[in-house]
This record gives sequence, C-alpha cells and structure tokens, in this order.
Amino acid sequence: MDLEDFKPIISDCIAGNQKAMAKLYRQFAPKMFGVCLRYAKDATEAEDNLQDGFIKVFNNLKSFRNDGSLEGWIRRIMINVSLEKIRKQHLMFPVDDVAIYDSINYSDDVIAKISADDLMKLIQELPPRYQLVFNLYVIEGMSHQEIATEMSITQGTSKSNLARARDILKKRVHENFGEINAKNNYTA
Amino acid sequence: MKKDKNLDELFRDKLQDYEQEPPTYLLDNILSAVSGERRKKKLIFWRVAGVAAALLIAFVAGWQLNNGDFPGLKKTVIVGQSSAPKVPSETKIQDEKVTSNGEATTAITQLATVEPNSSIRNNYSKSNDQNSKSAISTLTADSSPANSTTESLLMKPLKSLYRLIKPENDYSNKLQAKISNDNAPELIQKSIDQQIMEQNKRMLTAENSSKGKARWFVGAQVSPEYNVSKGSQSKVYASNMLNASSNSADLGGGISVEYKKGKRWSLQSGVYYSGLGQSSGNTSNSGGKDLQYASAGSNYFNTAVSVDASSNRMSLNSNAGVIELSKIPTGLVVGTSLEDKTLNSSVIVSPTNFIQNFEYIEIPLYLRYTLIDARFDVVMLGGFSSNVLVGNQIFVDDGLGKSLVGKTKDMQSLNYSGTFGLGFKYGLSKRISLNLEPRIKYFLNSLNTNSSVTYKPYTIGVFTGLSYEF
Repeated sequence: MDLEDFKPIISDCIAGNQKAMAKLYRQFAPKMFGVCLRYAKDATEAEDNLQDGFIKVFNNLKSFRNDGSLEGWIRRIMINVSLEKIRKQHLMFPVDDVAIYDSINYSDDVIAKISADDLMKLIQELPPRYQLVFNLYVIEGMSHQEIATEMSITQGTSKSNLARARDILKKRVHENFGEINAKNNYTA
Repeated sequence: MKKDKNLDELFRDKLQDYEQEPPTYLLDNILSAVSGERRKKKLIFWRVAGVAAALLIAFVAGWQLNNGDFPGLKKTVIVGQSSAPKVPSETKIQDEKVTSNGEATTAITQLATVEPNSSIRNNYSKSNDQNSKSAISTLTADSSPANSTTESLLMKPLKSLYRLIKPENDYSNKLQAKISNDNAPELIQKSIDQQIMEQNKRMLTAENSSKGKARWFVGAQVSPEYNVSKGSQSKVYASNMLNASSNSADLGGGISVEYKKGKRWSLQSGVYYSGLGQSSGNTSNSGGKDLQYASAGSNYFNTAVSVDASSNRMSLNSNAGVIELSKIPTGLVVGTSLEDKTLNSSVIVSPTNFIQNFEYIEIPLYLRYTLIDARFDVVMLGGFSSNVLVGNQIFVDDGLGKSLVGKTKDMQSLNYSGTFGLGFKYGLSKRISLNLEPRIKYFLNSLNTNSSVTYKPYTIGVFTGLSYEF
C-alpha cells in the first residue's frame, strides 16, 4: 500500500473511526512491535511501548504531513516512545574511553544457525545504554553525532557504548553459536 | 563459497525488517485509550463552555441587579446552583479514570525494569499462542509483578481498581487470588473486566448516594451586635429632634437549623433574638439660647417636647421615631410657657440621654455555599429574615440606674432584613463543629411607620457557636 491508499484511512482515523484505526494498526503493528522489541528488555515492555506509541500515532495523526512515509513517521514515534522510556528509567552514564573492537566475520554456516529471535534476545539482554546506541547506530543507521544529540550524551560516550555493546554481543554469539571465522580490527 | 559477515551486518540483516504479531488485546487497549482521550477533550470543552455560560449568567444577573431587579438575582442563584457544579463533577470522574490508566502503565513498566525475569525472556516467541502460554506460566508459577505479558494486562486494571477502592484492599487480593487460579487468559480478562465494571458501578452508586444524602445540622449561636443608625427625617420633624445619637452594642443569638444536600449548598433557618438599641440626646452649645433654661448643674438642654393635654403624655422626636414618655423621669426638668417665643412652648431639660431599645425575634432563611470544604470550612451566606418586634422600651439613666420612661411610637411590628456573611467552620469532632460567622444585616423597610421618619439601621455581628450534625 502506498501513501495514496492510506489517505482515506488516515482521514477516517482523524474523524475517530475505530474501524479505520484498527485497519491502520493491523497494517503496521507487526513491524512496529519488532522495532519496540529491539529497544525493550522484554516483550512486556515492548507491548507497553507499542501501545503508548499507537495511542500517540492516533492522537497526532492530524500533524502527519501526507508528503512523507507513513511507516517512517510511525516508526519514529515508536523509537521516540522507547527512547523516552529508557531516558526515564536509566541514566546515560558518560563513558569516554573509546575501546578498540575486534571485528569478527561470521561464516554463512554460523549465520544460518542463528535465528532473528536469538539475536533479538541477545540485544534485549544488553545493558540499556549499550542496547540503545547499538540499535540507533547499527539498525537505524544514525551517526554518533545524531545519537549524541538525541540522547544528550557526548559522541565519545556513544562510540564507547557501541564498542562495549559489540564486545558483549560478540562474546554472547561465540558462547551460544561457537565458530568464529575471521578476525579484523577496527574502531567505532 | 562462504561469504563472511561481520557482527553489525549480521544483526542488521536479521533484525531490520523483523516482524512479530503483537498480542490481540493491545488493539482494544489502544482503541479504548484513544476514545477516552477524545471524551476527555470533549469534557474539557463542555466544562469551559459551562464556566463561560455561568459567567454570562452572572454578568446578566449582576446587570439586572444593578437595575434594581431582585427577582433576577434569585433566578441567577438557582441556575448557578443547578448547572455549574454538575460539569466539574463529571469531569472529575473522567479525569480520574484516564489518569489512573496512564499511571498504571508507567508503574508496570518501572516494575518490569527493576526486576528482570530471565525465565520470561526465554519464552520469547513469534506466535501469539506462545505469547499467551508464556503469560500463563508466569501467572501461575511466579507471583512477582514483573515481566509478564498477561500480568501487564492484569496489573493495569488492577492498579486503576486499587485507586478507586483503596479501602477495599481485600477485594483486590481476592481478585488476584482468583486470577492465579484461572488458566484461561481470555476468561481472566473477561472476569476482571466484569468485576471492575461492577465495582465501578457500585462505587459510582455509593458516591451518588452519598452526594444526594441529606444532612441536618442544629446549632446555637451568640453574637455581640453593633448597631449603626441610618435613616432620614422630614425637615419639620428634624428641626425639633434629638439630633445626636450614639450607636450601641447589644447581644443577639439563637438556634439555627441547617439542611444540606450535596457538597456545597445548604439552607439555613432558625430562631434568633436580636437587640437593637440607640442612645439619643442633645449636647448644648456653649452660649446658646437653650442654656438659659437649664438648671444649675445641668449639662444638657434637650429638645422641644409636646404635651398632650388629654392624655397628659409628653412626647419628643428622635431619629427612630416619636418618643412617648409615660412618666417624667427623675432629673428631668420641663419648661413650659416660656417667654422667649423663638423657642418652643415647652422644652425638656435632661442631664442624660434617652436610650431606645428594640428587641426582635428573627426568623431567617439563608442560602449557604461552601467555598472551601475541608476540616476548616469557609462558607459564604446570604438571605432574608422576618423580624417580629417583641420589645420597645425607652430608658433614662438618671445616675441611680436606668429607669423605664416610655416607648417609641408607631413602630412596625414586622420587618424584613437582608443578611450577608462569611462563615468559618472548624470540625471539633465528626459531628460537632465550631462556627464563627461575621454577618452584616440591614433592614429593607423603615422600622417606623411615621411618614416623617425613615429608620433603617444596620447591624454588624460576629456569630459564634457550635453546631451538631445528625
């Protein structure tokens, strides 16, 4: 469905039509639940964030400009709700030492063994500040400068958190799935 | 051929477009929350509209009152009472529902953060069924409030329920016990919803019935009353009048009955006694003509007096009306057939003032509005009273004590007065309260029927007493 298809649904949602809201929800909920799961530490927290996020979506649909991506807009709301929750619950400790991370390359055999659910679980087990920076940098593709501005931390802290996140994840992957194929050094 | 991928790519590829079906109940939660928000916005609109309407009515009433239209005022009071408080009370209920829901969500999330539960994380799954199973296992195996899908679902209504029924904690315990024994999540949800709805209904009914419950208060009050003379007289009357009068303090008090229905408004009546007195005399001017008639040692020369030959009664004018003397008081000298024709034919010489005392039994009807409803209440009151004249006496203090010398003629036996006041009520116990009420009372009609005299004094009093609620 492209944006034109969504326009009547958006109008109905703004008018308070619950059927339209349900339709919009069903269209995006699975993907957005995936986003929320990545920023949460468990499914319960992700559900809360998804719920709060969609309430915001429906209450603020009027402010959605029909020239952008609806999915991108909703996704941004979900990430903001998740970030807000983390901001409230955890202090972002400044850590400025930039660690050198040993990059690992995984073979297709290893990759085939690891499911998305397994990786999701590993991400959820990261300390919140590492989880957050890893998500924003690796999955959302944000720069350290953007992350630093978003989270009110220094770029050094962002880089350091990313390095620690990678380090933990590397160890966990190794513990759970064994075999490491190759090794390169690079910094964040 | 093997293609290697680094860690970032591994996670990005697998998780960037990751999808999972959320639990079905989330949609219901979202839709009800959104419709709740919309209702709240509508209520805020109606509340603002209500306040605007009340202000408009108050403005119109004030304008009418300014034009001397009293029925207009009465009408406004009634409208204000029936319409204005309704909107905030409804809004309050709605607000509480919405807020409690929101707070419950936050509280659960915080709990979940503090106590991570790894057993639940292991139950992480893509399918809805598995999600439900995970939730059930947590409910039955782990009573900790954290990390359960169904728990989050259950805790939200329970939290809001707890806020609504704080005194009934045992009820929520029973509810939780029931939940842990039940294995079907849908049934749990349904039964909780039903119980919450029933509980809410009971609470609402109880609230409404307590709101509608009539309460009676009986009280006794006393007050020092300071009377201020106010009135006018015809020119002829005033020329032969005791023209200096001082105001006096009297004692008033009585029994009050108050009927209160609702939280703010009440009606008060009762029976009060109130004294109204004033003292009149004439201070002589040094070197004035009057002084030549005063006997040695007399400080005052009083006003002209007329003697009715048939009844042999003397009378003289005061600002409250004509004083009729039934006897010549001790220390008074009457001069008649005076040579100076510029003076009245008869004058009375007195070293003292005439003290006019009026006593009234007052039956009030006050409307009271509670401005601050707390242990220390602040009340605004206003209303009208019927005043029946039960005492009309004139005394002269001749140095040996007060002696009764007559009465004021033509006094109206029934008068009407208006009262405004502010009340402070302090609850000494559950039923007994201490009251302190400064009031101002003014007479709406002249107390004297003499066409030459308009006498409308006002009284300031501070009523103090106790009231008992039953």
